[in-house]
Amino acid sequence: MTAQTANDTLSAARGTDMRRVRLQLLSVRVFIYSALIVWAFVALFPIYWTVTTSFKTAVDVTQGHLIPWVDFIPSWKGWRSLGLSPDTIFQTSTVRIEFLKRFANSTIVSVGASALAIVIGSLAAYGLSRFPYKFGPLRNKDISFFFVSQLILPPVVLALPFLVLYKGLALLDTRIGLTLLYTLMVLPIVIWIMRDQFMKIPIELEEAAMVDGATVWVAFLRIVMPLALPGMVAAFILALVLAWNEYFFAALLTSTNATTLPVMVASQTGSQGINWWSMAALSAASIAPLVLVGLFLERFIIQGLMTGAVK
Amino acid sequence: MVDTSGMSGHQIHGAGLEHVAEGRRKAGRLLMRAASALLIIVLLIHVLNLTGVIGFGFENWRPILFAYVLWSVALCVGQVFTRGELGYRALFVLPAVLFTVAMVIFPTLFGLYVGLTDWNLSSFDGRKFNGLDNFRTMFQDAFYWNALRNMVIFVLAVLIEYGIAFMLALLLSAQIRARKFFRVVFLLPFMLSPVAVSWMIGKSLLEFRFGPAATFARFLGWESPAFFGAPWIARISITVMDAWIFIPFVMILLLAGLQALPREVLEAAKVDGANAWQSFWRITFPLMLPVSLTAIILRIIFKLKLADIVINVTAGGPGGATDTVTSFIFREYRDRSNVGYGSLLAMFYLVLIIIVLTLLLSFARRRVERVT
Amino acid sequence: MRVSDYNRIVAMQQTRRDVLKGAAGAASVAALGASGALAGFAGSAAAQESLRVELLRIPGIGVGSPTDADWQKVGEMTLAPTMANVEEGEFQGVELTFLGLNNQNLHNFLFRGFLKPWEAYTGARIKWIDLAQADYNPRLQQAIATETVDFDIIEMGAPFEGDVTGKGLASEMPEWVMEQIDMDDYVDYLKAPVGTWDGKTYRISVDGDAHNFNYRTDVFADEGLAAAWAEEGGAGEWGVPRTWQQVQAATKFLDGKKLNGFDLHGYLDAPKPWGGFGFYFLASRATAYAKHPDDPAWLFDLDMTPRINNPAWVRAIQDIIDALPHQPADQLNADPGTTAFQQFLAGTGSMLAWWGDVGSNARTSDGSVIGDVVGFDILPGSDDVYNASTGQWDTLASGPNYAPNMAYIGWGIYVMARVDSDPVKHKAAWSAAAHLGGKDLSLWASAYPSGFQPYRNSHFNIDEWTAGGYDGDFIGNYLASQTNSYNHPNAAIEPRIPGIFQYYSVAEDELARIFAGEFGAQDGADRIAAAWDRITDQIGRERQVALYRASLGL
Repeated sequence: MTAQTANDTLSAARGTDMRRVRLQLLSVRVFIYSALIVWAFVALFPIYWTVTTSFKTAVDVTQGHLIPWVDFIPSWKGWRSLGLSPDTIFQTSTVRIEFLKRFANSTIVSVGASALAIVIGSLAAYGLSRFPYKFGPLRNKDISFFFVSQLILPPVVLALPFLVLYKGLALLDTRIGLTLLYTLMVLPIVIWIMRDQFMKIPIELEEAAMVDGATVWVAFLRIVMPLALPGMVAAFILALVLAWNEYFFAALLTSTNATTLPVMVASQTGSQGINWWSMAALSAASIAPLVLVGLFLERFIIQGLMTGAVK
Repeated sequence: MVDTSGMSGHQIHGAGLEHVAEGRRKAGRLLMRAASALLIIVLLIHVLNLTGVIGFGFENWRPILFAYVLWSVALCVGQVFTRGELGYRALFVLPAVLFTVAMVIFPTLFGLYVGLTDWNLSSFDGRKFNGLDNFRTMFQDAFYWNALRNMVIFVLAVLIEYGIAFMLALLLSAQIRARKFFRVVFLLPFMLSPVAVSWMIGKSLLEFRFGPAATFARFLGWESPAFFGAPWIARISITVMDAWIFIPFVMILLLAGLQALPREVLEAAKVDGANAWQSFWRITFPLMLPVSLTAIILRIIFKLKLADIVINVTAGGPGGATDTVTSFIFREYRDRSNVGYGSLLAMFYLVLIIIVLTLLLSFARRRVERVT
Repeated sequence: MRVSDYNRIVAMQQTRRDVLKGAAGAASVAALGASGALAGFAGSAAAQESLRVELLRIPGIGVGSPTDADWQKVGEMTLAPTMANVEEGEFQGVELTFLGLNNQNLHNFLFRGFLKPWEAYTGARIKWIDLAQADYNPRLQQAIATETVDFDIIEMGAPFEGDVTGKGLASEMPEWVMEQIDMDDYVDYLKAPVGTWDGKTYRISVDGDAHNFNYRTDVFADEGLAAAWAEEGGAGEWGVPRTWQQVQAATKFLDGKKLNGFDLHGYLDAPKPWGGFGFYFLASRATAYAKHPDDPAWLFDLDMTPRINNPAWVRAIQDIIDALPHQPADQLNADPGTTAFQQFLAGTGSMLAWWGDVGSNARTSDGSVIGDVVGFDILPGSDDVYNASTGQWDTLASGPNYAPNMAYIGWGIYVMARVDSDPVKHKAAWSAAAHLGGKDLSLWASAYPSGFQPYRNSHFNIDEWTAGGYDGDFIGNYLASQTNSYNHPNAAIEPRIPGIFQYYSVAEDELARIFAGEFGAQDGADRIAAAWDRITDQIGRERQVALYRASLGL
């Protein structure tokens, strides 16, 4: 074989290679996009179903009608039952008053709890990721595990002891009581997520600052916090969703003043069947603020949890 | 209290262990002692008042709460005064620890005690201490063990969810258009409340007669798509619904981990001629192990509490095939007001989970350390 | 009236809308009152009549669901009895807490509207606690056990009386309240002993509950099916089954048949647990076998020995096991909510036992599958009935044994004993409760969506309903099935013992395993009996026996 032919075969091979690579790239693209679209459908369809159900009469639900104006005529049924449809919005409506009160409570309690959990959880996570603690026989990983183990007990069982405790502390049916409880509930998640975050931030940054004479707290607040802030936003959103949807404690520990939305959603069923439309409307109305939060803060979630990429 | 003297690997070293002035140290000790004394006095007054020994006191336990908060603050300040830099370090973790302890100490102890009593809320005699009777009853309770067996199956499904979540995270971190759209959309299912999911999906979307999913299944040739009719199908349907909610949660954690991977390493792998598959298994996956561990542990904990969907959609059926420990405890504790026994079941479950998780964590950590 | 009934009735009205006839009816009723024999009472009687007819016109049949404004108007129009007993502003500064259900935004939400005029008149203020139905029982039990009862008035189902009145937590009804609400007007079974606890009256009934039998008139009048029935050697004429034996036969016969292109099914069972409420549906199948006319007991012996594993109950369980293969493919996961609202009303199945709810809110439109082809009756009977004292199956001389199941007995308003120490609060709480349980107000509540059914003899005056705009045939059939159940001499009445839902809940757990085929009817029933004995022992057998006897009025 001469050098010439060898070269020819090589370039020919390269040509087919290029084609194959391009073909491969194309098929990878096709695969990626079809997978994305399939999953987007899986994620969206039930939500689409929920939102459209709030505009359906019973017969449209029980016959599985799917597309508005094509196989059913949308009506304001679900929203009217909440007093939130165009024709009822200016009339008195006990349901709307109740809904708005609960909406406000849910907002105050879940935002308050998430914020509190972020503050004390981030501090703890930073400590656990940077300094070795000894708490009796417990080391750092034991302390982390202590926090996460608070998540394990089913709330059904904890609710009654909390009823007794809160009765003693006069915290029953108060927003502050519920806020503290939800803080406890989301704290472990915040700590675990933030601990991973802080571990990814190179320690040299703080050491450099401390060589310049900064204390640990100054180094934390000035150097680490800004880097981890987006991560906190991400943890905040996850905490917010969990607190927003909490049901068992709310059902037992609130009466009049601190009632939240999930109990009202559950109220749409009972021994008299179910009001599909109003449950759908309530579900849609209570997911809406979370979606908005998600839309506005989404980039923080992703950036947030990727602070390690700061190099 | 919190000792920060031991030093190890990647943590911050020796700086700031300077000597603390004797005067500050004394002031700090004094402060902590005074706060402790105040807490004890307030507690004593209330207890004595409750037991009728003295004729004055507080209306409820709230003053004790305030005294505890005051004591906590004093403890934090005291730590700084007495131990200087080490005190400042303790200050990071103290608020969370003090808060958690304050919140859980009573419910946990009370729950433990209740677990050792015979307490049916309808009973006229109230609580009766009955030692380990509940424990013995538990070992003969077919429903409980059946639920535990189901939990093993449900928890194993976490691996599949993790696989899907990982794939989604990889997709989202690829070079794609409309990335923001897909990210938000993929996150949406996590936001719907479980009650809404049970009804809008479990009882409506998957409904045998009119549910679009059933219609679609018929279209695919499944003649009678009863999603909850047979044990295994019901288990799968419940798992799918629960996965639908929580895959976004796992996905977000993994996605974040992926974004944080050092690009140089991946590029180095490419130069070495590794194909996508090889570079994933050799580089990406091992680097992702620590994040994966957190994601899987948190997901398992959520899975272990699976209840709302089961209660609403199948009530544990058919024949207990989808019963979970939490949904069984729910029936025992709430529907049957059998609070003593229900608490014991939960406590036993807690201990079981802690043991399993500890083993899992130490095993996984060792593997992770070896790989990375 | 429940929403579903209302909507269905309204839909039926719309097909033969005859407002004129209604107006004429009202006039004739008024005229009848004026020319009545009791001349002295004529004036007030006429006023009363016209008030009731006027009430039934708020907002009017066929105008759409009532709104807040309508509830308030009803509350205002029925305030007269309160005004007779309470001075204006008498309860100024009193604050009461009311615990009740938010069931599909009815119950407590209506009460708010009804009581608004009452609040304005008396000066009292009411704080509301709304619970989801699923949380009701645990919340109540946990509040009682931890002494966190933080409410003065409670809307409560009669089965919980054991837990509340049995523990002395309720306030006894004062004489003036009994008069104000006219208790003599209650249907028979809501009077003593079911209306009382240990000889004392606590409950203001606002609802009556019974399971009745709902069937498809088109299926049982179809000639093709009648021919097939005769051909296959079915016993007797093809028609609406009147005994459970016939129900079983019809269910087996209908499996695989079609009507107008739709698959037919017979009776619909609800094997899936439903937070304790599912047990009522086994009970409805069992009462005809288990409730002997000579014996007040049917669920427990008088010493609380469970009867659930006696031949009568086992036969009912076996009936379900036998019928399930002939029911829709997903039946094992059907709870009563599914059978009623997703199956029967959507055209699946042709027989169903349910509370009065089964009319259809889904069937109001043109897409209706079952339209107005629903008939009502009391629950089917049985050719033979089990006699627990002899252990024999008796055949009664009077024919089949009927025993309507008074499932849940109905909602009531109770005042808690914690107001007893404060005379003003006591009177205020009872006045509020009496307003909600008022005679005229309850007529409106039984005619419009409220969550409540008719429960007074005065509710069964068909003329009033037709005067209000209802169709006589339909409402007559509907009301007859209710009143015949309530006033049935052999009605099976639920024992109001503490923790009754614990018994139901544990039974549901075992029944689910029976229906899944894990063990047979007798074996499973024995397990239920054992579990029930454990609950009785845990709660305290002696007290349970005493309270059980008290609830039976012995």
